[in-house]
Amino acid sequence: MTDRRPPTGSSLTGALLSLPLVLFLAAAVAWPLASLAGHALSDPGWRAVRQVLAAGRYRTALVNSLGLSAAAALGSVLLAVAPAWVLARERFPGRNALRTAISLPLTFSGVLVGFLMVVLLGRIGAIPEALAYLTGRRMFEGAAYTVAGLFLAYLYFELPRAVMTLESAFRRFPRELDSAARALGAGPLQRLLKVGLPLAAPALRSTLAVTFSASMGSFGVALILSRRFTVAPLEIYTEMTGFLNDEVAGALALMLALSTLAVDRLLSVGKR
Amino acid sequence: MTRKTFLALSLLTLSATLAAIAAEEKVVIQYDCIPNYANWGGVTALYKKVAGVTVPPDPKGSSVALAALEKEKDSPQADTAYYSGAIGFLAAEKGLHEPYKPKGWEKIPAALRDPEGRWWTVHTSAIAFVVNAKALGGAPVPRSWKDLLKPVYKGKIAYDDPTWGGTSFTLVYGVNELFGGSDKNFKPGLDYLKKLDANVSSYPRESVYNSVLRGEIPIWINADGNGYKMKWVDNGPVEVVLPAEGTFTMPLVMGLVKGAPHKEEAKKYLDWLLTREAQAEFAKGYFLPVIPGAMPPEVASHVLSEKEYQRARALDLARMAAASDALKKAWTEQIRGTGR
Repeated sequence: MTDRRPPTGSSLTGALLSLPLVLFLAAAVAWPLASLAGHALSDPGWRAVRQVLAAGRYRTALVNSLGLSAAAALGSVLLAVAPAWVLARERFPGRNALRTAISLPLTFSGVLVGFLMVVLLGRIGAIPEALAYLTGRRMFEGAAYTVAGLFLAYLYFELPRAVMTLESAFRRFPRELDSAARALGAGPLQRLLKVGLPLAAPALRSTLAVTFSASMGSFGVALILSRRFTVAPLEIYTEMTGFLNDEVAGALALMLALSTLAVDRLLSVGKR
Repeated sequence: MTRKTFLALSLLTLSATLAAIAAEEKVVIQYDCIPNYANWGGVTALYKKVAGVTVPPDPKGSSVALAALEKEKDSPQADTAYYSGAIGFLAAEKGLHEPYKPKGWEKIPAALRDPEGRWWTVHTSAIAFVVNAKALGGAPVPRSWKDLLKPVYKGKIAYDDPTWGGTSFTLVYGVNELFGGSDKNFKPGLDYLKKLDANVSSYPRESVYNSVLRGEIPIWINADGNGYKMKWVDNGPVEVVLPAEGTFTMPLVMGLVKGAPHKEEAKKYLDWLLTREAQAEFAKGYFLPVIPGAMPPEVASHVLSEKEYQRARALDLARMAAASDALKKAWTEQIRGTGR
């Protein structure tokens, strides 16, 4: 048994030290959110909110955002598990360089990711050009502008986030449990199911939440790539700038925030 | 280099930058000041040279500029804004501009300025096909609106989202009028654009000048001047086509923002934009000077003949402005579609 000191006296210091963040959040989150809700609910009878939730372009945008973000979150977490595990548990030359390379896309803005996708899979993108050279047939021309292209771009900027988040969780795994299970005669599959997954579940869930939320708010990628398929942030932009429609833009933003929070909440159920 | 020297050097650079920012008090803020459009990059650089005043680039399209001005009505951030005609007209109607008649005002043709000075034209342009001939993949250069519907152009055409840019709004409004529509009846234009949709690769909401030059977008329906500049300044394999059935002229207008934070500087800048010097600089971006006689001869020799330009008709700005919201909405619903 290790000795745990009770946290007496530290709560006041903690509160004082947190004050700048609390003030910042109040100014940068609470106030804009309140003003947003104000705009969204200012119409009599919640007209803007009902307009957004009625069948049509706005609701489609919300549904698309949810679907695309869920797909990007699942895809990036699935792809990130192995590299995150390797980065966390193995030592090998070039590990830091690899980590830097993986995290690089985190520094790219959405618009930049969109342009990268155009350079790769646009009408004269590198991939269609290379395939045309190799096979003599033109393939994947302009794929960047399709839903698949959009999904790839989202996957691209969510992957580093997923790898980083999972890696730091995997680092904290107690190796002893695995050794103990092995000593007690558990096979690899049994160890994965009985030890590995229960340990990893909370990390996987929080990684899903992080990547999902980031995708829900992403704007630049869709701005560059979206042709017909629309997402909520894009509709908010069009309502604000093209039509000066603060009410609908506010209602859309509110719904976007609420649905993101709801999914995050669901993912954290059962987590302590 | 020791750590100390490095630190000292960084501090020195930082303070020099800060000093420069502090000394740089002469600024005019112009919404919609896209360096690649109408040679604003060259024009603002020249103004910096002759007057020492910085006019920073600004990526907003006309409609976005209008939206921003409206949002900031109570504490304006911009001094002036630049728009395609109808959007500038609308901004003036909404009371976002303060009447001002810059020097040289009387030289602007009467149809191209508001009698009270709430907006005036700085140069004009016409809607054209800007064609990157090398990127057409062997297809012939299209000559008419009808040509654009041919299957050989599938995936090769783009025009800006009209809710983003005024140039494209002019195009959508004009096409509707050309095909027999009016400010009340959008069906003829939207029917045509629906057919065109089969060949369109994207409806950009950002400047795609470079994409056209690279060949990512082989046919861009936009202002003629952008195409001339690609051809003569950037040496692109670009041809400018004024479609056979006819096209539309577009005055590009400006106004003084009501409550402009640098009002006196802005007035001097707006005066200067009508001088021969500035007008000739716009002409280098192949937007036609609004002041007669300011067109440099070598630029004039690069553009299509006057005979070709007879096919370009003027549109009624007041009607366009009145129809703008309804048309943009109809376009979004019917051309961008359901969003699926």
